[in-house]
Amino acid sequence: MKRRRYLVKVSRLAALASAATLAAACAGGPSRPVEAFNLETPRPFGYQIGDTVPMRILVQTRPGVQLQAASLPKPGPLNRWLNLRRIELVEAGADAYRIDLEYQVFYAPLEVKALTIPGFALRFSQYGQTVEESVPPWQFTLAPLRELIARQDVDGEYLRPDQPPALLSTAGVRTNLALALMAAAVLGLKLARQYGYLPWFARRSPFKTAEKRLRRLAPAELAAGLAALHSAFNATYGAPVFGHRLPDFLRAHPEFGQIQSELVWFFDYSNRFFFAVQPDLASADCERLQKLCGWCRAIERGSR
Amino acid sequence: MNSEHQFSDGCERALNFERHINRIVIGQQAAVRNLTIAVFARGHVLLEGQVGVGKTTLLRTVAQGLGGRYQRIEGTIDLMPSDLVYYTYLDQDGRPRVDPGPLLKQGEELAVFFFNEINRARPQVHSLLLRVMAERAVGAFNREYRMPHMLVFADRNRVEREETFELPAAARDRFLMEINIAAPDDDAVLDQLMFDPRFHDVDALIEAMPESAIGYQNLNALGAAIQQRVQAAPALHKYALELWQATAQPQSYGISVSDVDIGQLLQSGASPRGMSYLIRAAKVRAWLEGRDSLWPEDLQAVYAPTMSHRLFLNPIYAYRREVLLPELVNQILQRIAAP
Repeated sequence: MKRRRYLVKVSRLAALASAATLAAACAGGPSRPVEAFNLETPRPFGYQIGDTVPMRILVQTRPGVQLQAASLPKPGPLNRWLNLRRIELVEAGADAYRIDLEYQVFYAPLEVKALTIPGFALRFSQYGQTVEESVPPWQFTLAPLRELIARQDVDGEYLRPDQPPALLSTAGVRTNLALALMAAAVLGLKLARQYGYLPWFARRSPFKTAEKRLRRLAPAELAAGLAALHSAFNATYGAPVFGHRLPDFLRAHPEFGQIQSELVWFFDYSNRFFFAVQPDLASADCERLQKLCGWCRAIERGSR
Repeated sequence: MNSEHQFSDGCERALNFERHINRIVIGQQAAVRNLTIAVFARGHVLLEGQVGVGKTTLLRTVAQGLGGRYQRIEGTIDLMPSDLVYYTYLDQDGRPRVDPGPLLKQGEELAVFFFNEINRARPQVHSLLLRVMAERAVGAFNREYRMPHMLVFADRNRVEREETFELPAAARDRFLMEINIAAPDDDAVLDQLMFDPRFHDVDALIEAMPESAIGYQNLNALGAAIQQRVQAAPALHKYALELWQATAQPQSYGISVSDVDIGQLLQSGASPRGMSYLIRAAKVRAWLEGRDSLWPEDLQAVYAPTMSHRLFLNPIYAYRREVLLPELVNQILQRIAAP
C-alpha cells in the first residue's frame, strides 16, 4: 500500500516537472528578441551637486535584431538639473551591446533629497518590426554641501570662495613660439653676417671694412687706402696675395676672375706706389680704387 | 746716358746668355735663372742634386759662356789644400819641379773655379776654400795671388753619404746660392734627352755655347753698377727686415710646420751676410726683369735658393731637413705680407 502511494507521488512529480519544462520553453522561446537586458547602476546615495553618475546597460539580442541608435538619448541637458554628459554605444561581441552613460547632477538640495533619473526606451528592429525595451528610471539621494543656514565664525563665513578656474594649457603655443623665435634668430644672424653687420665676423667680409676706409679717403692718404685693400685681399685669401701670385688667388677664389684685369692693375699700381723709388704715378687714382673695392664687395656679398 | 745705355744693353745680353744656356741644358729654366742671377750678383754657387741630372754640364756651360779661364778639380778624400795650390813632379832632366796648382795656374784670368763633388774633400780643403771664396785671393810662394774675376761653382750629389764630409756652416754661408737640380718632369724634354743625339756628346754640346758678349772681366763692374742702380723703397726695407726676423723667430709670425715645435726648429736665424746676399740676388733679379726698383716678388723669387742652406736646424730635426726646410721657407713667404 505504502509502496503504491509513493509511485503515485513520483508520477505526479514527473508530470509537474514536464509541464514546468514546457512552460519555460514556451516563455523564453523565439518570441523574445532581447535575450538579456541588464542595467548596472552605482550606489544610490551620497551624491552632491556637480557629481557624475555613471551607468551601464548590457544587452544581448537574438541574431538579426538591431538596436536603433536613434533611440538612444542625446547628450545634453535632460531637464532643469540633469545633464547627460556622455553616451557611448559599443558593440561588445555578436549581438551584444554595451551602453555607457554618464549623467551629471546640478541640483542644489537644502537637505537630503531623493531624485530620479528618468528612464527611456531602447528600440530594436527585427524584420521590419520594432520592439521596445524600457530602461527603468533610477532613484538616488542627493546631499547638500552646507548647512541650511550658513554660520559666521571669527574668520567670517566658513564658505570658501569659488575655486578659480583652471587655466588653459599654453605649453604647445609656447613651444611653437620658442621654435619660431629661434628660427628667426638663426636667420637674422645669418643675414647679418651676410651683410657684414657683425664686427666680430669682420673676417668674413673684409671688403666691407676696406670700403669704409676707402670712402673717406683723401688723395694724400693713398698708402692707407692701398693697405686697406691689400689687407682685405689677404684676409680673403688667408695669406698675403702678391701680384705675381694672382693666379693662385684666383684658383682659390674663382669668383674674382671676372675682374682679373682690374686686379692686375691694382697689384701693379700698388707695387709701383710702394716700391718704386721714384713713383711715376700720373695721379692718385682714388676713384678707380673705390670702384674696384665696390666690385670686390659685391663679389664678396655674392651679388655679382 | 752712356751708363743708361750700358745698363739696358747689359740686361739684354744677360737674358741672351740665359736663353743660350736654356737651349743647351733643357728643362732647367728655374736653375738657369738662379745661376744667371748668381753670375751677375758675383756670388759663388753650390749645386745639389741626384747623379746624372746635368749639374756638371750646366756649370761647364755657364763657364764656357762666361769666357775667361776655367779650372776644375775633383773632390776626393785624399785631396789636400796644397794640391790646389801647387803640384810637384820630376821634369825631363830628372830635377824636381814645383808648379802652380789649378787655383793659381791661370792667374788673374781665372773666371770659374769648378769644384766637383765638394763634399768628398776634407775639411782642410774646405777651409782653404773659405778664404778663396771670401777674398778671391790665396797666399802661396811667399806672395799673394789674386783672382778678382773668379766664381766658385761647386756641386755635390746627395746619393751617397759615406766617405763624405759635410760642408762646415761657414763655408756654406759663403755660397750665394744653393741650387737644387732635379730631373726634368716634362715628358717632351725627357724624350728629347733620351733620343736626340745632340745631348749624347756633352763636350760637343757645351762647345755650342757661344761666349757671352759681356766679357768676364766686365762682370765685376756691371755687378756693382746693378747694385748701385736698383733701389729699394722704405716699404721694401721693412718687408726684407720681416723676412729676416722670421728666420730668427718664426713663432712670432704665426709660422707653423707640421708636427714640429717651431720654437725649437732653428738653431739660429739667417746671418747678416746671408741677408745682404739675398738683397744682392734680388736686385739682379729686378734688373733682369727690367726694373730699377726692388719689388717683393724679387725677394720671393730668390729667397729659397739663397736662404735654405743658411738655416741650421736643431739636430733632432736635421735628419728631416729635406722636408722641413722647403716647408719652412714656403711658410715664411706665405705669411709675411707686403705692404
